[in-house]
Amino acid sequence: MADETAQKAGKQGTDHPILSCDGQELKRLLEAGTAWLERHKDAINSLNVYPVPDGDTGTNMLLTMQAALEEMANASDHSASAVAHAAAHGALMGARGNSGVILSQILRGIARSLDRKGAFNASDFAAALKEATVTAYKGVIKPVEGTILTVVREATEAAVTAAAEEEDLRLVLEKVVDEARESVARTPSLLPVLAEAGVVDAGGQGLFIILEGMLRYLRGETVEVALALETAVDLHVPGEGEYGYDVQFIIHGQDLNLEEIRNTIAAMGESTLVVGDSTTIKVHIHTREPGTPLNYGASIGSLSKITVENMQEQYQEFIRSQAQPARPPSAVSLEEICGIATVVVAQGPGLTRLFESLGASAVVPGGQTMNPSTEELLKAAEAFKTDQVIILPNNANIILAAQQAQKLSEKNIRVVPTKTIPQGVSALLAFNYQADLETNARVMEQAAEEVQTVEITVATRSVQLNKVNVKEGEVIGLLNDTLVASGRSPEQVVRDVFRQMKAEDYEIITIYYGEGVTQEEAQALAARISQDYPEQEIELVHGGQPHYLYIISVE
Amino acid sequence: MVEKTSLGKIEVSPTAIASLASRAVLESYGVVGMSSRSLGSGLAELLRGESHKRGVEVRLEGNEVIIDLYVIIEYGTRIAAVAQNIMSNVKFAVEKSLGVPIAEVNVHVRGLRVSSKD
Repeated sequence: MADETAQKAGKQGTDHPILSCDGQELKRLLEAGTAWLERHKDAINSLNVYPVPDGDTGTNMLLTMQAALEEMANASDHSASAVAHAAAHGALMGARGNSGVILSQILRGIARSLDRKGAFNASDFAAALKEATVTAYKGVIKPVEGTILTVVREATEAAVTAAAEEEDLRLVLEKVVDEARESVARTPSLLPVLAEAGVVDAGGQGLFIILEGMLRYLRGETVEVALALETAVDLHVPGEGEYGYDVQFIIHGQDLNLEEIRNTIAAMGESTLVVGDSTTIKVHIHTREPGTPLNYGASIGSLSKITVENMQEQYQEFIRSQAQPARPPSAVSLEEICGIATVVVAQGPGLTRLFESLGASAVVPGGQTMNPSTEELLKAAEAFKTDQVIILPNNANIILAAQQAQKLSEKNIRVVPTKTIPQGVSALLAFNYQADLETNARVMEQAAEEVQTVEITVATRSVQLNKVNVKEGEVIGLLNDTLVASGRSPEQVVRDVFRQMKAEDYEIITIYYGEGVTQEEAQALAARISQDYPEQEIELVHGGQPHYLYIISVE
Repeated sequence: MVEKTSLGKIEVSPTAIASLASRAVLESYGVVGMSSRSLGSGLAELLRGESHKRGVEVRLEGNEVIIDLYVIIEYGTRIAAVAQNIMSNVKFAVEKSLGVPIAEVNVHVRGLRVSSKD
C-alpha cells in the first residue's frame, strides 16, 4: 500500500515539474483535500462565528466534500471534465450550511471551466479558479468580505499571476496555498465580528485547508493522507457523545441578568447563544450534558420551548440518508421538509432541470406528443415515503391520467390541473413548505390560473379553426391552448399573439425554447420582443422540449 | 414590539425589524433577489435597493415575532440548504440586534435566477 502510494506519487517526485493532471489525478487531489479537511474539521468548527455561531462550518464543508467524492465514483469517464462535473453535482446535492453551498458553487465554476477537457495544465487551473470565483460571487447580492469568498478570490489572483510565469502545477498551487493562508489571516481585518471573537473566518480556513491538502498530494506527502484516503469514502462515524446534544430553551423570569447568564451558560458547552432581555432569554448551546444548562435555567426562571437534540443521531441519520443508493433525481426534496411530494410532468432536459431546481420531487417525462400513463404517474407517486402527493400534469391531455392515479392510489393525492408548462411553473413556485396539502393545492391552482401561456409549434395538418386558416407546415400560435395565430415564421406568430393578448399589460415574459431551436435564434426572438415591449422583463430559458418551438409564459 | 423599562417604553416597529431582516437576507449566500410579496407568482421580480424591504413581512402575534421572506435564489444551488441558511442567518441577526426571540422565520422561494448555464 505504501509502495503503491509511492508509485502513484511517483509523478509527483520533487524534481519533476507537473505539467498536467487528468481526471484521475483531479480525483486524488480532491480526495487529499477532503482527507486533510477531515483532520482539521474540529478546529474549523471552533472558529465558526459568522454568520451564525453554531460551530458547524467544518462539519458542513466536510459533508459537502464527501458528497462530491461519492459522486466522483460515478463519473462517466476519467477525463478532468467528467470528474469535475461529477464532483460539482455531488456537492450540489450534498451542500450543507452557508460554506457548503459556497463550496458547491466553487466546484460548479471549476467544472464549467474544465468542461470537455481531458486534463488541465497550470493555466487551465488558474482559469478554473477564476470561473469558480465568478460563480461564487454571483450567488449573493451583498458579498461579505472577510469570508470564504475573499479567500477564493485572492487565491485565484495568485493562481493567475503564478500561471502566467510557471508551467509547474505544483509551484502554482504552492503560490495559491500561500496566498490563501495569508488571505485567511487577513479576514479579521475585513469582518469586525471575527476580530471581536479573536478568530479567522471558518469557511475561509476550510477552503485553505482543502487547497493545502491538495498541495500535499502534489508534493508527494501522501503517506498519512493516503491512509485516511482509503476511508475517506466511508464516512467518518463519530464516537459516542462526540457531537453531544443541541439544547435550546427560553427562560422566563423577572430582572434576569443577561450578562451573568450568558457567561454561566458559555462555560457549560460550545456554540452558545444567549439573547434576550430581563424577562425573556433564549438559550442555545451544544453540550455533552444537556441537564446542566436546563437545571441552571430552571433555577433562575421558568422554562419553555425546550428542545434537546442528539447531534450524533442527526449526524448518523444524515449518513444513512447519504448511504441510500437511489436518491430521487431531484436537487431539492420538498417532501423531506414538509411531508408533501410533488410529481411534475415535463419533457426536455431544460424543463426537467428547471422543475427539479424549483423543488419538484420527481419529474415524469411526458407532454403533448407523449402522454405518460396512469401507471407511470402512480408509480412516481407511490415511490415516496410520504403519503401526501401533489401532481402537476402540465397538459390538458394528462389531467385525466393524473386523476385516475389519484383514484387508484391509497395515498392522499391532489391533482392541480395545470394545462401548460408555465402554469406548472407558477403552481410550483406557489408551493408553500409550511402549508398543508389542501391549502397548497388550492393556492397552486390559483397561481396557475394567473399566468398566460403562449405556445408556438408547427401545424401537422391544414385546418380552419377559430377563424384562423392554417396550412400544413405553417407555424401556429396558441394562447392558453386555443389557436389564435398562424404564419411563416415563429417571430411573426409570437408578435401576432402578443398583440392579441396585449402583452404590454403584463410584467414578465419568460421564453422556454425547444429542442429544434438554437440559442442564437432564441436570443434573436427575445431581442425582438424586448424592442416591442421595452417595459417588460424578458427571460430566456433553455427548455429543450420537443414539439413546441417556444413555450412562453406571460404574467 | 414594546419593551417596558424603568424610564419608559421602547418600541420597535415591524419596519425596523424588516430592515434588520432584509440586511441579513441580502448577505445570505444563494439569495440573488427579493420578490414583492404582493405579486401573485413573482417568477423574476428582483427588487432593488431600498425596495428589498418589500420582500420582507413582519408580523407581531401577541408577543411573538414572525418573519416572512420572499426571495429569489440562484439557480444551481441547493435550495433546501440555502433556505435553511436564510432562516438561521435572519433569526440570529435579528435576535442579536433586537434581543428578543423570533418565533418563526418563513422562507418563500419565489423564483430562481439563471445567471449562467452549465
